[in-house]
Amino acid sequence: MAETKLVTITIDGKAYQVPAGSNLVDAAKWHADNDIPVFCYHPKMAPVGMCRMCVVELGMVEKDRATGEVIMENGQPKVRWMPKLQTACTQVATDGMVVRTDTDKVKAGRESVIEFLLTSHPLDCPICDKGGECPLQNLTMAHGNGVSRMNFADKLKLDKHVPLGDLIYLDEERCIQCARCIRFQDEIVGDDVLAFHERGRRLQIITKSDPGFDTYFSGNTTDICPVGALTTADFRFGARPWELTDVPSICPHDAAGTNISLSTRLDRDFGGRAMIKRVMPRQNEAVNEIWISDRTRFVHHFTRSDDRLQSPMVRRGERLSPTVWNEAIPALAEVLKAANGDVAVLAGGGASNEDLWELRQLLKGLGSERLGAWTTHSGAELLLEVGVGKGSNLGTLGKGDAILVVASDLEEEVPMWYLRVKQAQDRGAFLAVANHRPTRLAEIASQTERKVASQTERKPLVGKSVLYEAGKAAHWLNDLANSDPELYNTLKDAQNLVIIAGAEGLDWDGGRALMQAAANLLIAGGHVGKPNNGLMATLPEANGMGLQYLGYTTQNALDIIKNPPSVLITAQCDPLGDDPTAGSWMSKVNTLITLTLFPDDTTQRAAFALPVQSFAERDGTFINGERRVQRFYTAQGPMGDALPLWEIIARLRERLGQGRAKVSAAAVMLELSNHLPSFNGIRYKDLAQVERQYPDVGGKDLYYGGTAYQNKGGLGVQLPTTADNGSAPTTGTVNLPEVKQAKKGELLLIPTVRLYNRSHIMRPSALIANRVAKPFAALNNADAKKLGIKHGDRVEVRFNGGQATVTAQVSDSTPQGVVFVPRYLADTPTPMVITSASVVKVSDAVAVQ
Amino acid sequence: MAIIGNKKYQERINEHLAKYPDKRSAVMPLLYIAQEEYGWVNDEGIAEVAQLCDMDATQVKSIAGFYTMYSEKPKGKYWLQVCTDLACALRGADELHHELLHELGIEEGGTTEDGMFTAEHVMCLAGCDRAPMLQCNFHFVEAVGGLTMAHLRELIAAARQDDKTLQKLIAKWRDEVNKQVQQS
Repeated sequence: MAETKLVTITIDGKAYQVPAGSNLVDAAKWHADNDIPVFCYHPKMAPVGMCRMCVVELGMVEKDRATGEVIMENGQPKVRWMPKLQTACTQVATDGMVVRTDTDKVKAGRESVIEFLLTSHPLDCPICDKGGECPLQNLTMAHGNGVSRMNFADKLKLDKHVPLGDLIYLDEERCIQCARCIRFQDEIVGDDVLAFHERGRRLQIITKSDPGFDTYFSGNTTDICPVGALTTADFRFGARPWELTDVPSICPHDAAGTNISLSTRLDRDFGGRAMIKRVMPRQNEAVNEIWISDRTRFVHHFTRSDDRLQSPMVRRGERLSPTVWNEAIPALAEVLKAANGDVAVLAGGGASNEDLWELRQLLKGLGSERLGAWTTHSGAELLLEVGVGKGSNLGTLGKGDAILVVASDLEEEVPMWYLRVKQAQDRGAFLAVANHRPTRLAEIASQTERKVASQTERKPLVGKSVLYEAGKAAHWLNDLANSDPELYNTLKDAQNLVIIAGAEGLDWDGGRALMQAAANLLIAGGHVGKPNNGLMATLPEANGMGLQYLGYTTQNALDIIKNPPSVLITAQCDPLGDDPTAGSWMSKVNTLITLTLFPDDTTQRAAFALPVQSFAERDGTFINGERRVQRFYTAQGPMGDALPLWEIIARLRERLGQGRAKVSAAAVMLELSNHLPSFNGIRYKDLAQVERQYPDVGGKDLYYGGTAYQNKGGLGVQLPTTADNGSAPTTGTVNLPEVKQAKKGELLLIPTVRLYNRSHIMRPSALIANRVAKPFAALNNADAKKLGIKHGDRVEVRFNGGQATVTAQVSDSTPQGVVFVPRYLADTPTPMVITSASVVKVSDAVAVQ
Repeated sequence: MAIIGNKKYQERINEHLAKYPDKRSAVMPLLYIAQEEYGWVNDEGIAEVAQLCDMDATQVKSIAGFYTMYSEKPKGKYWLQVCTDLACALRGADELHHELLHELGIEEGGTTEDGMFTAEHVMCLAGCDRAPMLQCNFHFVEAVGGLTMAHLRELIAAARQDDKTLQKLIAKWRDEVNKQVQQS
């Protein structure tokens, strides 16, 4: 917005310089601190002027037509007023605009609109979930008459519990027909499954979606609903907003690092401890704006699941038995001392930077540097060099820019990026999606225009969807200049280019090759070291980036697999549950120590199983896929004897004589950032800095954008890449690995990712557990025919290290010679990386289950 | 029953779809075809129209809900609409409307048990010169001197006999009206 021309507008007698063309409601709020009340207008969506709440007196300074000079009258510029009140939300700031918001006429207008909206509104505020944070309640207090002239007997009686899907309920009486939810689905998500039905007083929100309203972003409609008409099945009737304490936190599920608020209260259902009642978005325009995915919103029950590991366990003979920390820590210290430095760590993306630092220091003290990253993605080291430049914001990509998404089903892996990439395309960015199978984003990329049902305009779109041979992502991208020069040049010559790389169908060598090929393309086009240019990767869990920054790599992991250490520590990862082949090398480990949330497959083989606290119970930091270090705060009461991972290790280090244990996560961060130059010496208080963000969802009019929260917990700090710091990256050689081949008579098994699955974290959230797909394997028609398999048959997929019994999904969208097996759906571990597998029919399709 | 792949409608559907640069513009005429096939705009019809117009079923339902000439409830084979606006009211439309309901033994907007007739009152049908006005399946029914209950009884009897008899009767009445207009 910096380049736009400034114009002078007058609001209530004072002149302001505002950007030309800015929305009048936004401009008044931002520049004049004047909260024009709204219901239907939402700063993230196009104005529709439906509710009429934002009426103002509007005029233009009159100018002499001949000379262009302002006509003066009694020493004041003469204003030509419009005869009637105008809706501010449908006006844009133009030079000479004069607005009055405090006159009797405006007040009368606002009062009338409130009265009209309340003609049949139920008086159930005392039992309404929105009561206490309701824009209608607030604006009625501010602008309403206070006395009703309506006949109570004439009130419409409508259905108060209409499930739009499993997750969202509609109360028809409370709805004021602002269409925010309809427009959100239509304009922002691009899935117009909500609409109005009938008209006049009988107007209602409906959906014909089958199954019900269940897009991955459906929960956001309840936030932007200006009344209590839409509520989530998870929170409704759960607590009153004024009892809740909002604790700033970070979504633990993916690389987006979505900013959230955990609304907690001391709750009987959790033994009087602080308990998360709901998860709300927290505004961070550079990360998630004011949106969160349904996974972020509804998957929080695992933090207090009774299935969690709640006390330290030590193996006595065949069985793991509970013990106390005072016994476990000395025993652990003995084991580690006896190992004589033959120790290694495998850490998952769920561990925080503080956890990873303490583990790193522990190993250093023991004389080992074997820090392995347990992740499907490799090549993350390139993100430190050519990652998206400091100051990047997907929300500002648009016309002239390009985005390439490769080897990823972005909607299933990082839904927040999916949403923002889709919106960048809406703004005019070129979107290329390459994968070996069709995905939702590929479908979007290949559309040439977007229908926006609530508006007459149709947006022209630019993009391309490419299908490459299974597993050949790196080959495709490396050869792009030859195979598709047009696409290559479109990407290379774009004003700004962001590449988002996944790891679908790639092993660690393939993943690294893809990252290098992407880096080469970025470097060739000069798309490094500046904002809105560079590489991103769909690293699993919240801190995949932190692993890389703290020195945990897949190269080291490979070394650990090849030469298993005497003592292995697994930190918030479950190799035995993730990878059916892990047992073969894991058996060579003498002592397995696991730090875990849940008793998992790895726990079953561990000598020590130590319960760690989840993100909700402790302080810490994660680094998101855009290298933003973000802080989360203690929200929920602890579970059992679980401790923060860093604290367990700190106590262990003290026992081993490695110095006094730190007393806070902040102290760990202090040491960490003093030692690692890449952290630029950041402190917790730097991460807690906030600044006013546009659009302003806070201010006096607290619920301008719905109930999405003003950010009070910090915007985080984005770490610069080496390219940002001025060192010019050079292109590297892409070491194209041999693509895995299926054995004779077998198929190439490619693991895929589903947003909702049966992992330990998902299972305790009943609402989401109901939406998880039944375990399946996707096959091509021709392959299925050859194998005598029909759609819906029960089949057994056999691979190195195990087998899984699943349902066959036969279609043409699966490439020939390939079987896709989503991870964490089947009851038994399925492969983590591409491999050869046979598929055998077990029984015919069962008609109805 | 279906409209997609139904030979009876194939030509009309293609014609409507070809008429506009944009498939979705054909949604309203296609909804009429669905209504013709099923007797009302049911979920099957909505799904088919959505498929034909490349729209979400929710949006099609929304359009069907906004306009009153799409029925979202099952209707009888014959949909009788009596105008009760001013001109017709002055010529006894209210009485005609009530007597018709009484004759059929139904409530306003209801359908006879045999599924033959649905009757309701509507706003102006743009035929005030022939008040009181009645529409049968969106076609005007008129008679010399204006419709009376006697006409309607004859109409109902003809319809119960078969469709041909009914259409013949309506045509006969129309001819009589036209003849009278020419003479005067």
